[in-house]
Formats: sequence, structure tokens, C-alpha cells
Amino acid sequence: MQLHRHPELLQRLAAAHALGTLRGGARRRFEAIAREQPAVRAAAIEWQTRVASLNELQAGAEPGPQVWTRIQNLVRADAEGAALAKQRQEAAVAPATGWWHSLALWRGAGLAGLCAVALALALLPALRGELDRRGAEVAALQRQLLATPDVRYVSVLNDDQARPAVLITFDPKHNRLSLQRVGGYQEAADRSLQLWALPPGAAPRSLGVLTPERLLQLAASESAVREVPALAISLEPLGGVPSERGPTGPVLFHGPLIHKQI
Amino acid sequence: MSADPDELLMDLIDRIAQRDEAALKALYDLTARKLYGLSLRVLGSAEAAEDALQEAYLQVWRSAGDYRATLSPPMAWLGLIVRSRSLDLLRRRAADRAHLTQELDEVLADTLPGDAPNPMDTSLASQQAWAMHQCLGQLENKQREVISLAYLRDLSHGELAERLALPLGTVKTWIRRGLDKLRDCMARFA
Repeated sequence: MQLHRHPELLQRLAAAHALGTLRGGARRRFEAIAREQPAVRAAAIEWQTRVASLNELQAGAEPGPQVWTRIQNLVRADAEGAALAKQRQEAAVAPATGWWHSLALWRGAGLAGLCAVALALALLPALRGELDRRGAEVAALQRQLLATPDVRYVSVLNDDQARPAVLITFDPKHNRLSLQRVGGYQEAADRSLQLWALPPGAAPRSLGVLTPERLLQLAASESAVREVPALAISLEPLGGVPSERGPTGPVLFHGPLIHKQI
Repeated sequence: MSADPDELLMDLIDRIAQRDEAALKALYDLTARKLYGLSLRVLGSAEAAEDALQEAYLQVWRSAGDYRATLSPPMAWLGLIVRSRSLDLLRRRAADRAHLTQELDEVLADTLPGDAPNPMDTSLASQQAWAMHQCLGQLENKQREVISLAYLRDLSHGELAERLALPLGTVKTWIRRGLDKLRDCMARFA
């Protein structure tokens, strides 16, 4: 049907389509024609834009202050997750691309080393190569040591049956809390676990909201955990609650925070 | 606020695409009131509307980079996101709890009889929305309300008739006449 030759009908159908009241077979037929005839498609889009204006014309209302806090928590968890994924990816990619981690290279070098030992007595200059390799190996170990987390605080949070649920370590070198879920607990999709520092004689302070993964990291400065004897995890609405309010849901896990001196 | 609110909002959305959390906060401060009103209209419950608002801004955070390609005015883009998240939640809640439809019906029934003048709010609205506002003002209240509800809650003629306790023919007539008037009026703004 040459719908664009019937402007009044076209306008009616396009309007009902945009409003959502054109349904079932009539809707499918209109959409099929719109895909074929640009004039029909243009009318459909024009009405979609008009009708969508209704979204902008509703009277405003004030949302509760906790809404922004939850958004902020989720956005930060998102950013942390992205950083962590990037880190993992880089760690996974590095061995494949770095010549230093090339297996073939080291197989070759190892073979060269064996030959060097075998030939050492006969061929002294070959020893110098072996020494260079050792020097490089020491440098690599030093680099590795720098990248290794420096764990200064440790905590195991137990559930109310004294079963371990979450292992937490804090690395002041990278300002990072690392969390490992060790129990089988998984919060519902519309809930979040939130980690709290429990300073003596003061209200709990939020350390962040846990994403659902088994392993995760939260950014935290050392001042947030220094002198804090215990940590707790509460069950909160998705995205958590503002720190100043303190936990609103049940405390599921808690345990002492130990400043490691060994 | 700058002379052109669209420019300001677009600049904020661009910065959000660059992972600028302060820009998201600024966008929230400017638009949350308006968009929460929309979500509240769709869902009819403060708690659910806040959940939908939260999901909507998280989506803005994640998809701000796609905004420019939509060619939409910023409030139109934000409005579509909030309506869509609100409708998702509405369907989930309706599936979870059958009694919810009854609560909604009461809210719906309340919105109809009022003879109040057009309560719509045009602050921050795009030009298109402003034109639509002018034209909606020419509709009878009942026509405007039924059209708004059909779109905002994604209701069919039959669902509207059932929930508003009106004959199906009446609902169809109100909507058709309302849309005809809108068509004639909007043609003058084109």
C-alpha cells in the first residue's frame, strides 16, 4: 500500500505507533512498510520524537539523598572493576608479548647456559654471557618484588556460625583493599554487601561496596584502616548506603583487623 | 547556568564519557528532580522510582559515549533512558506482585478526574517538548491524561479501559481525537 499517498491515515498510524497503542499485526505491518518507504519511516520517527516529549513534561519531584550515594558507590565499584580487569588483562598479555617472558627465548637461553657450563673449561669467554644472564635475572626479580603487594593488614570475617566468609588484606603501597569471598554466600541481585571499618568509640565508616565477584579490590587509604580493630560487612540496598548513616541492614560477617608486623 | 541549558548538559555528558565523576554529579544535580518526577509518574511508588533513577544514571555513566550519535537533545535522551528503566522495573514488579496493578489503578484513577490546568513543567525541556507542551495545552484534560498514561506506562487501549473503568470505545475516541488535535497543532510548529 502506498501509505504516503494517504497523509491523514499515515499520520494517525504513525502517532498510534509512537504512542504504543498500535499493537499486534497492525503494528508489525506498519513497521514493515516503514522499513520500505522512507516517507513512512520519517513520519514514524517524527511522531516518536513528539510523543517522547511527554518524558520531559512531567512535574518534578525530589528524590531521597541516598539515591546519589548509591549511584556514586556503583560508579566507583564500576571504575574499580574496570581497573582490575585491565590489570588482569595486562598481566595475562605481558608474558605473551614481552621478549623477557618468551618461553622460546628462555629455552634457548637455558640451552645456551648448559652449553656454557659444558664448554666452560674449554671456552672461558662463554662464561661471560652466562654472568650477564644472571645479572638480568636478578634485575627481573627486583622488578617483580616491587610489583608484589605489600600486605600490612589482614582480616578474616566470619559469619554468625564462626565460619570464614571473606578474607581481606590491605596493601598501603597501592592503597588497596583486596577481598576474597571464601564462603558460599551470594547476595541477591538487588542487594549489595557493604564493608565497614569499626573504629573504637566512633560510628562505623564505610570502606566501600562489594561487587558480586569472588575476588575484588577497593581503594582505601591507610588512614581508613589504621587503629581500626575490626571490620564488618552488612547487607544493604543495591549500591549501599551513605557512610554517615551507618549500616541499615543486618551485619552478616565481622572479624578483627590485624596489623601485620612480621 | 549558561544561557543554553542544552549546551551545558551536552558538555557534562561528554565529560561523563571521559569518566568524570564530578560531571555525573553536576548532571544529577541539574536533572534528577525532573527525571525522578518522570520515574515516579511511571511507577507510582517512591521506592521503585528511586531504584529506576539509580539504574538510569548508572546507564548514563556507562553509555554517555554513545550520546552524540543519537542526535537527540540531551533531556530527550535522558528522558528515554529513565522511561525505559522505569518500565523495566514496572514489568518486573508487576510480575513479582500481582497486587501492584491494583495500587497502580488507584493512582491512575486519581489522575483522571482532576480539572486542574495543565500541570506540565517545561523547565530544561527541548524545543520539541516545548512545542508539544503548547499543543497538549489545547487538549481536553481527559484526552491529555489518557495519551500521557498510554505512553508513560506503555498501556494498550484495552489495558487503559480496564484500569480506568471506562468503555473501550471511549478510550479509543479520546486518544484518537487527542492525537488528531496534536497533529494539527504540531504541524504549525514544523
